Amino acid sequence: MPYSKKSSFNLSTIIFLLLVLGFVFFSPFFVTEKMTSLPQLNTIFLSILIEAIPFVLIGVLIAGFIQIFITEEHIKSWIPKSKVKAVLTSCIVGALFPACECGIVPIVRKLIDKGVPLYAGVGFLLTGPLINPIVILSTYMAFGNDMRMALLRMGVGFIAALAIALVISFLFKSNQLKQKERSVSNSIAKRPPLYQRVKGMFQHSIDEFFDMSKYLIIGAFVAASLQTFVPAQSLLAFGDSVYHSTIVMMGLAFFLSLCSEADAFIGASFRNLFPSTSILAFLVYGPMIDLKNMIMLLSVFKARFVFVLFLLITSIVYLFVTLTSFL
Amino acid sequence: MQFHLQHFIKAIVLGVFVLFFLDLHLSGDIMKYINPKYQNISKLAAGIFIVLFFVQLFRIFQRKGKGHHHGCGPGCHHGHDHGNEQFNLSRLFSYSVMIFPIITGFAFEPATLNSTIASNKGSIFSQVNQKETSPLNETTLTDKENIDIYSSDHVPLVNNNYLSNEEYEKKLLLLENSETIQMQEDIFGTYYEELNEQPKDYVGRTIKMSGFVFKEDGVNSNQLVVSRFMITHCIADASILGLLAEFKEANSFKEDTWLEIEGVLDVTKYGEYEIPVIKATSWKVIDEPTEPYVYPVLTLADS
Repeated sequence: MPYSKKSSFNLSTIIFLLLVLGFVFFSPFFVTEKMTSLPQLNTIFLSILIEAIPFVLIGVLIAGFIQIFITEEHIKSWIPKSKVKAVLTSCIVGALFPACECGIVPIVRKLIDKGVPLYAGVGFLLTGPLINPIVILSTYMAFGNDMRMALLRMGVGFIAALAIALVISFLFKSNQLKQKERSVSNSIAKRPPLYQRVKGMFQHSIDEFFDMSKYLIIGAFVAASLQTFVPAQSLLAFGDSVYHSTIVMMGLAFFLSLCSEADAFIGASFRNLFPSTSILAFLVYGPMIDLKNMIMLLSVFKARFVFVLFLLITSIVYLFVTLTSFL
Repeated sequence: MQFHLQHFIKAIVLGVFVLFFLDLHLSGDIMKYINPKYQNISKLAAGIFIVLFFVQLFRIFQRKGKGHHHGCGPGCHHGHDHGNEQFNLSRLFSYSVMIFPIITGFAFEPATLNSTIASNKGSIFSQVNQKETSPLNETTLTDKENIDIYSSDHVPLVNNNYLSNEEYEKKLLLLENSETIQMQEDIFGTYYEELNEQPKDYVGRTIKMSGFVFKEDGVNSNQLVVSRFMITHCIADASILGLLAEFKEANSFKEDTWLEIEGVLDVTKYGEYEIPVIKATSWKVIDEPTEPYVYPVLTLADS
């Protein structure tokens, strides 16, 4: 959050939030006959939150741990010097690290704050929620115990994440965090006693939770409103070629903001409506970026960076997924 | 000693979150939001909230100038919310946002998803997959560590949905052999999938099921869809399952009425799809069941 002592809200954040709020509050009036669905909206909204909050809490605890126990020296020694190697390492670490898309944002922010290069942070951000045992298992189950879709999801997702992180490494030199100052890490000499540090870890986690959760709440509310008021069929208006339906499925993934552990079943339910290429796009794109996630990212990174990242993820995933249809 | 308003407010917010999560679990309302399978992780969240709440309590009264003593050293400016700064409008906004879901959560009863949401989900019948054979819900859960909690007696769960392989096989046999196909909650997803994959195999069989009335665009006046929502993780990822039922009086039932219906299975065409249809012989209006949702079926490996 941009709460440094001097400046408070950054203008683009305000505009964005106003747009979101305006949309949320006025959209029901366009569909007046559906006003009775406000209790439904509330239930869906709360269920997204109740589902996501445990993962956010785990995320902020890890972020608190990193803040207190991991020094910049550690990180420097872990990250390879060459860009390509660093991106590859970060994508692999992300793939091994079981996280979900809301929990990973505070972790990435803390890592970058501690001196992890931006491109490595992005690699970790993209593969963390996409590739992990639970997601693989649920994809495998959802597609009728067929490993093909699960493998494609991991493979295409991993290569796309590599490509996106590499492009980021050429486009951005600075860390793109909103806050200017980097936290000064305590040197080993004046390290406080363990009890103090554990306490510090929890206090950091609390502050981090307060930073993150308001964006999660706004994101969940918008996603729930869309589910309640906008019929899925309205997406079909775009057209029905593979190229169109892939865009439709990516749009759906973005706006539904589902947890990567649960989206495979939803994706699978579209098998008769759309070709598998489009469903693959849904599965790869959703965990990388979605509405809820993007609002959280906007709270951490500069708006311009988030926008570029969004465009990159969208175009690269679209391109790579479309290429698989020629295989 | 100094009183920190910010820390005080944060402690209150955390305290309210603790209450909210405890209330969800104690009242059993949690099941109206998420698949009971994921209860444990949400209990963990309640636990973390309690810890954070107590840590936060000690920050309300701190000696002056010790606001930053948590190991950052001097000159620490994360630019994030330490709670020591002045109270201003944007802060008021952010605390209001955080309290908002708690207020709506306590103020309104959780609703059951209804036909409005169903109509947003897209056509039921075109989602049904006929070509690939895909037992959508069949998993083998090798670790049993999550299971014990469901045997606890405080909240009886019909839909805990762990079946042993043996039970699962037995239920599948019942689908083939029993006189009446009973669409019980614990096997609903599997039966539903089977019926839709091979609708012809089941023509002439008797079926009994309950669900809410949903009238998809394009169904005739003597038809309605008896539907259930299937929840994978949380209500937001619900997908709609429904069987078409046909009887003269179908017209007189409003959407969202819960029906128990019995009839004989047949096959009909819906667009280009062949789908099962229930020629209803008897039906009655029932109350909404305490567990309106069904969940993917998980089987336990018999180790």
